[in-house]
Amino acid sequence: MRHVGTIAGREIRSLFVSPVAYVVLTLWAVLGAVFFLSSLAQFLEGIARLQQFRAFDQLREVNLNHDLIEPFFGTMWILFIFSIPAVTMGLFTSEKQNRTEELLLTSPVTIWEIVIGKYLAVAAFVTLLVGLVAFFPGLLFVYGDPELGRTLTGLLGLFLVSLTYAAIGSFASSITSNQIIAFFIGLVILMVSLILPLAAELGAASGFLGSENLMADLLRWMATAEHVQPLLEGLVDTRNLVYFAVMAGSFLLLTKAAVESVRWR
Amino acid sequence: MIEARELSKRYGELRAVDEVSFTVERGEVVGFLGPNGAGKTTTMRMITGFLPPSDGTAVIDGADIFAQPLDARRAVGYLPETPPVYPEMDVSGYLRFVASLHDVPRRERREAVDRAIERCGLSEVRRRVIGQLSKGYKQRVGIAQAIVHSPPVLVLDEPTVGLDPIQIGEIRQLISELASPRDGESAHTVILSTHILPEVEAICRRVILINRGRKVLDQPLAELTAGGTRLEEVFARETSRDEAPAGEASA
Repeated sequence: MRHVGTIAGREIRSLFVSPVAYVVLTLWAVLGAVFFLSSLAQFLEGIARLQQFRAFDQLREVNLNHDLIEPFFGTMWILFIFSIPAVTMGLFTSEKQNRTEELLLTSPVTIWEIVIGKYLAVAAFVTLLVGLVAFFPGLLFVYGDPELGRTLTGLLGLFLVSLTYAAIGSFASSITSNQIIAFFIGLVILMVSLILPLAAELGAASGFLGSENLMADLLRWMATAEHVQPLLEGLVDTRNLVYFAVMAGSFLLLTKAAVESVRWR
Repeated sequence: MIEARELSKRYGELRAVDEVSFTVERGEVVGFLGPNGAGKTTTMRMITGFLPPSDGTAVIDGADIFAQPLDARRAVGYLPETPPVYPEMDVSGYLRFVASLHDVPRRERREAVDRAIERCGLSEVRRRVIGQLSKGYKQRVGIAQAIVHSPPVLVLDEPTVGLDPIQIGEIRQLISELASPRDGESAHTVILSTHILPEVEAICRRVILINRGRKVLDQPLAELTAGGTRLEEVFARETSRDEAPAGEASA
């Protein structure tokens, strides 16, 4: 595993000389600001409405975490579905286009070292994105007093979901040699993971998935939302942590198989 | 140094390479000849560990490509048909990266990179971004990455294709120097694939000819051209033998 650092280092440097990194970072900062402000506006509007109706009981229930930070995190999570495939699309496709794949695969380097090295580079970038998201609730700590633990748990949720998406994006990049196609494959997989619960309900209702409902349960389990939502709400459950580990691990395994398949085709 | 034992590569029914065996001794420069699509590139990819053979094996510097793949790959410097360069990296950064991939110890890396840069005449462009270099320079960077870890074996796939006559001359000169270096540097064993015959006459001492995936000739160049026979004639004679219907393997 000693080449992991070499590969990760090169990948990060090359990410930061490509325009993609800067476009994503800029858009991310702008969108973060826009959606934070709109969450803030909604929050204030909600308070104003409660005051107007003199609903003091409900007013006492208003919570910065529940009514402002969590909706904001929820939006940023959905935006990850678009931004992470853009970050990962060049990960393996560029190696094929530059023909540097041949260099990596004829070097005394294992395929795991290549896959993990590249994944770590994306993970570092994704950490930066989560850091940018963290900046906005950070402002609230200056002017108000949200709960720290709950906010950090939400950020942990965003971090884990983005790491999982990064693994899925890596896989999308490993099965094609075209960046644009890699982007859309990643996007489609992530969107499907969003609507899986719906598919599970439909399948179960129509009896298409059989009476056992094993498939439906599996589909429901694979859906991201069920595992992100508790974390965003401040609840750490080992089962959800296991979910992220299993998903990220499986897609890295698939990535490794896809990279290796060049040898056996 | 290199021992290929009945290397075969099949793609379904197609035999791209069919039981090719040969041995190359230390310090030899062997020309690997054949028409386009004969299986040259496929054979080289098997020796360098990029593609596993369907049958047979190869031993590089004592390491079997199946049993000790990492040792075998460490012993080889490989220039594929297209130099495997990252266009966004600068020359010395790229060579440092390749050196570290090939396990050149950290302390020796700078020296190894400087040596490769000097030998390939890249000193003027060492800080330049590879994507902006001319084709000739890119090719030299490709050779530099193949020799940066001082491998005992060099595998060069059409190193002069697409270059202008002056560049071709320079690259040939460089390859000859690598095979018989000045004092203090170890000689590389070189396999060079090409279909440019004058190139073989200029730098190789032995010729291996393959046609339709089979080895058809393996002789010292001096013997082949003895009595004034031209290499073109040998090539034409060997490749036109048993002319069968088309079905060439793409290499």
